Amino acid sequence: MQLLSGDARRAVFAPLDDGALRSEAVVRRVGSAIALGLLGDGEQLPAETELATMLNVSTMTLREALAELRGLGLVETRRGRGGGSFVQARDDVLGELADARLAELATTDLRELGDAHGAVASAAARLAASRASRVEIARLRDIVDRLARADSVTGQRRAEGRYYVELAACAQSVRLTMQEMDLHLELGQLPWPPAHAPALLERIVAAHRAVVEAIEVRDPAAARTLTEEHIEARTVWSIELRLRAGGEAVARREVS
Amino acid sequence: MTSGRPGAPAAVTGTVAEVVEGVFATVAEVRDAALAPTARDGLRAGRPVLGDDVRDLLHRPGQLAVGLGLVVAPRPERGLPLRLEWWQVDPDGGRLRTLEPDLRPTSLGYYDYTAAEWFDVPRRTGRRHVVGPYVDVHGTGRYLLTLTEPVVVDGEFVGVAGADVSVRRFESHLLRRVDRSAPFLLLNGEDRVVLSTSPRELVGALVSPAEVAAGPAADVPGVPWRLVPVDDRSALTA
Repeated sequence: MQLLSGDARRAVFAPLDDGALRSEAVVRRVGSAIALGLLGDGEQLPAETELATMLNVSTMTLREALAELRGLGLVETRRGRGGGSFVQARDDVLGELADARLAELATTDLRELGDAHGAVASAAARLAASRASRVEIARLRDIVDRLARADSVTGQRRAEGRYYVELAACAQSVRLTMQEMDLHLELGQLPWPPAHAPALLERIVAAHRAVVEAIEVRDPAAARTLTEEHIEARTVWSIELRLRAGGEAVARREVS
Repeated sequence: MTSGRPGAPAAVTGTVAEVVEGVFATVAEVRDAALAPTARDGLRAGRPVLGDDVRDLLHRPGQLAVGLGLVVAPRPERGLPLRLEWWQVDPDGGRLRTLEPDLRPTSLGYYDYTAAEWFDVPRRTGRRHVVGPYVDVHGTGRYLLTLTEPVVVDGEFVGVAGADVSVRRFESHLLRRVDRSAPFLLLNGEDRVVLSTSPRELVGALVSPAEVAAGPAADVPGVPWRLVPVDDRSALTA
């Protein structure tokens, strides 16, 4: 297969440093890459040894991960000439995977992830308010419009991911852009809140619109605060989903 | 405010113009390399237009560009998809790589280049263009100036030829060559700082018109950039 060299791909195939539960980490990474469209339906994954090297896991670990992905129905392996592992994008499976991941996490993990995302995104929003050009602001607005119109969970996730990545690019910062991409690969492993409470989509869209307005009127403090407040609300949503699910869905594994 | 030595801005704008024209000369070579085969055979899906010799331009002594190539205008009705023939120098080492960005619209990482200024402006105006500094998000992922010109065959826009210059390379190249005794800002057409010799004015920042109205500006020939003098107070001893 031809390996793409875009910045998002760099993030998908970057070495894992999760330590324990390696094959699960591979499964989660591949799952979120599919959820975000970074790996497309029907797309062939790199060869086992190549993929293992890229992700910095043993071939054994990678095989375990591929077996689990096959079991979930997210990857199909074909033998023989033209064979290999191929992606199968299935929204239902991705939703279950995200719920299972949520059940594994402690509320403090969710708070930490939200804190980190809040720090990166609110800094980006503040800088974007003084650095974004008119063309870039129009593009941000367009992305939020697309988010409002997207009618699938994956479509909404991707549009929102693009919003945050673009915001960081508007800050003229390669580092913030890369961090936003990495954060989205983690956020993409968790449930999309509107999948559980559809009315939340409107609140997400309204929050992003308010930030774009603040950027447009060149109000860095407002852009930053609005971004921070929205991400704080998101943390609360995911913690509530976690606590609610705690009783029903039994975590597949103990939190390590 | 210190006033620079007479003639200093003209010398700086001259140096900047020379550097920019040097990169545009490379872009013109890429365009010429694309024109002949395109005029002869047209554009065909899956068939590269540029020969391997084009990428060698990146290794030419004194070359400032870190990436170059051809970016094709998609024509779905003729079965021509989004396509790039673009090479770049690895940031850590001289190896050349083919740029293979994600061109699937359903991806978070979709490189929507037809909406990018470096593609759109030459397409609309028929003229060469320079954009940046900007983060080439979803493409090279680098902080760049991108110089492009349209490739037109039989009156039809078939794509752009272009070159990327990394902002850091542009800066270090120019800082070695220009007179910095009187601090200045080099601003692009949207008043974004392209180069600064004042620690208080950051590259990539947008400068408000009031800030730069103070001094007389000197235009850089050939590109919509201008040089403006700035206050040279030190931030270290303030």
